[in-house]
Amino acid sequence: MLFDSEFLKKLEYLSLISKRVFRGSLLAQRRTMQMGSGIEFADHRTYYPGDDFRAIDWNLFARHNELLLKRFQEEEDLHVYFLLDCSQSMAFGAPPKFDFARQVAAALAYIALADLDRIGVTAFADDIVADFPLTRGKGRILALLKFLESVEPRGVDTDLERVVSGFLHRAQRPGLVVVVSDLYDPKGFERGFDLLRHRKYEPHVIQVFDRYEKEPEGMLGDVEMWDVESGSSRKVTVTEKNLRTYRQLFNEFQEKVQAYCNRYGLGCTRTSTEVTFDDLILRMMRAAGAVK
Amino acid sequence: MNLTNPAALLWLLLAVPLVVFYVLKFRLRRVPVSTVLFWRQIFDEKKPRSLWQRLRHLVSLLVQLVLLGFMISALTEPFFSGESLNRRRVILVLDTSAGMAAADVAPNRFAVAREKSHEVIKGLRFRDEMAIVEAGVPPRVACGLTGHARTLREALDAIVPADGPATLTDAVALARRLADGSDTETRVVVVTDGCGDQLPKLLADEEKKPVEKRLNLTVIRVGERTANVGITRLQVRRSPVDPVGYETLLEVQNFADEPAGDIRLVLTLNGKTLDVIPLTLKPGEVFAKVIESTTADGGALAAELSAIKDGKETPYADALAADNAATAFLPKREKIPVHLHAPKNNLFLQMVLAANPLVTLTTSRELPKDTPAATIKVYHVETPAVIPPGNVLIVEPGKDCNLYTLGATIPLAMVVKQDKESSILAHVRLDNVVFPDARTLTFLPGEVKPQVLLTSVGGEPLLTLFDRPEGKVVVLTGDLDKGELPFRTAFPILATNTLGLFVGGAGELRESLATGSVTALTLPPGECELRGPDGSVRKLAATTGKTTLGPFDRVGLWTVTGPAGTVVETFAVNLMSKAASDLRPADLPAAVTNPADAGLVGGYGGRPVWWYLVASAFALAGLEWYLYQRRWIS
Repeated sequence: MLFDSEFLKKLEYLSLISKRVFRGSLLAQRRTMQMGSGIEFADHRTYYPGDDFRAIDWNLFARHNELLLKRFQEEEDLHVYFLLDCSQSMAFGAPPKFDFARQVAAALAYIALADLDRIGVTAFADDIVADFPLTRGKGRILALLKFLESVEPRGVDTDLERVVSGFLHRAQRPGLVVVVSDLYDPKGFERGFDLLRHRKYEPHVIQVFDRYEKEPEGMLGDVEMWDVESGSSRKVTVTEKNLRTYRQLFNEFQEKVQAYCNRYGLGCTRTSTEVTFDDLILRMMRAAGAVK
Repeated sequence: MNLTNPAALLWLLLAVPLVVFYVLKFRLRRVPVSTVLFWRQIFDEKKPRSLWQRLRHLVSLLVQLVLLGFMISALTEPFFSGESLNRRRVILVLDTSAGMAAADVAPNRFAVAREKSHEVIKGLRFRDEMAIVEAGVPPRVACGLTGHARTLREALDAIVPADGPATLTDAVALARRLADGSDTETRVVVVTDGCGDQLPKLLADEEKKPVEKRLNLTVIRVGERTANVGITRLQVRRSPVDPVGYETLLEVQNFADEPAGDIRLVLTLNGKTLDVIPLTLKPGEVFAKVIESTTADGGALAAELSAIKDGKETPYADALAADNAATAFLPKREKIPVHLHAPKNNLFLQMVLAANPLVTLTTSRELPKDTPAATIKVYHVETPAVIPPGNVLIVEPGKDCNLYTLGATIPLAMVVKQDKESSILAHVRLDNVVFPDARTLTFLPGEVKPQVLLTSVGGEPLLTLFDRPEGKVVVLTGDLDKGELPFRTAFPILATNTLGLFVGGAGELRESLATGSVTALTLPPGECELRGPDGSVRKLAATTGKTTLGPFDRVGLWTVTGPAGTVVETFAVNLMSKAASDLRPADLPAAVTNPADAGLVGGYGGRPVWWYLVASAFALAGLEWYLYQRRWIS
């Protein structure tokens, strides 16, 4: 069972840690830039007729004889969107990358829900395949887990641009978008993230890979290479030289993801499925400076 | 090319399943990958080589078929017709003479010669045969004709260099006998340093022979033209006048084109230095000297060349060590018991006998009743009627006895005839010497035939030897007091010679032998052994009479021991060969220094064709494994 009682205990533990020392750091519990009826002072502006004179700063008027309005930053719930890759490539590995991805998504969603944020989960492959609508409240976690359990790997080739386009066409508030994927997009992952950034979303990448992807074993010799994502196969002879080239290309890909995130200031977490999901969350907390 | 075993070609049918399995192709191992993003980049880059990708499967099949072909071809044991037609017979003559121990080439000439002989073995072709003749003392066949290289190598390695003289002439004659009667081309390969005159003479003799009788002789020469100083002679002999004295003849020669100096010739007896002679020798100069000395105890007399180095005496260092030392053996002289019976007490005769340091003299005026048989009895004037057993010297006989009767007195008997072969008269000349009042002797008939050594003008015997089975009897007539004999030095020598004859060869010197020579010895009954200077022991066959010992192949002292381990005889063996000591090779224009230059190395390495086929198959298998590991073939 993917989400057993042990898993839930771990979620609770992570939630407690995040509340104690991590509040607002991981998912950037933040204020919206919209001015409103909050209590935190933002700035002043000139009073125009029709404005609520209750907001006039009378102290300033007394000192400078100038009508200025006090503006306050309005507090809003943070919207956290999870884009969960459920393409066939995520089913690869032992344990499967997809299981790990779902556990990580569930854990982060639980922390967000516990922090009174709104979360939504979108499963995608070559297109959006399933949705868990925006929801709020810790009580929704079981529904979320049920949803995650119901999602199966499917689709052909990952198409992040297409998925993001579909995601953005929905009328929703921008927020944090956590993309949990292996990013094996034949057309390139960058375009999808570019779209998110342009629409004022803040993408956070959690790239998942299996150790056999990094260090392939049993590949030497004449093999029929079967692509689990596309279902195609190819007869090839893998040499030591090929393996060296493969490792080099894989590492370059990893560095490319990291470089993209660094360039645009995106949060980036690259992880192997060898670590447990709770270790990964703690690592992310450490990276954010919340836990030492 | 012919096939020894054509039936093995049936194994070619194995190619059928090989091809069938190849055509059927086994299902490839299926390996899932999460994405082909990276693999596509890898394999798409190789597209220009896609033709090879297709061909390499075919190459793999071809490699396996060729491999199978090699193995089956090897099973058929193919051979070239030329192999059987042009097979060679090589007889290798390896010089093991003393000169081959010269260290002018590292480590020495013999080791280099053996190395070159190994090259000749290595150069043998399949179906070639080879024999090895060791040119030692005597020459012997170290390995008969065989094509088995390991046997030849083992036989070659078993040959050890000796200290003997070169015996190339005899060795080549032996090789010729091996070659005779063969219809195959036979080459005689002589590996030598080329020193001495045997080889040039041998080659010249071959040139004189008709072409069809000539040996196909190849000379492989080792070594360089090297200087050497050697002791070429060390001989000792007893002094003719002193029973315990001896004379040593020493000869040292410089075999070089340059002078040799700072040499010390040290002569020792049982380790005690007798003489040291500093030597400086011109090119080719021979130093010879006779040294006189005395010893009754005898022992090993050694001559050695040395040099002073850093204030210490060290062995002289030149290319050949075997001739830098020589030995001679001086046997111990035993005391000779002599009893003189002289009724008139002849003091002169008594003093002559007493002057011999080896003689233990007793005297009597009355005829002794019982004298030990080992004691030499000397009778002056009065003799017993029956001469007792043992060795007897009768001087101036005055009575008849069982060997002779006395006749008339000859007033002046002059010696006109002397038996020069007799050991009694060695170093003695008595021609025209007068024996006054000599009595004529009439020999009584009997088994013992008298041997007259000195004869007078009238044919009367003056000195007679009776060689009885129970002992020798020497009779000297003439009055000693009246004659001139006592005034001559010949008389004490004559007395010493007579005593020497009585004691036989005991204590006599045996000349030093040269390596390669033989000697004869009468062995005692029982099991005897010959021990060499290197500690080697050879059993000697029990024979009656004289046994021939040798030829001796090592310098030093050789000992013959009897059944109880008693020393029977000791021989000194020295190199004493100018040809062996001269390390300057003769001019041999036809000689080569390398077997390859003589066409003895080459061909296809002396292995059969099937060996190369199997080797190729293994090499191909290794290549295939390498290519497979590299995935260049599948």
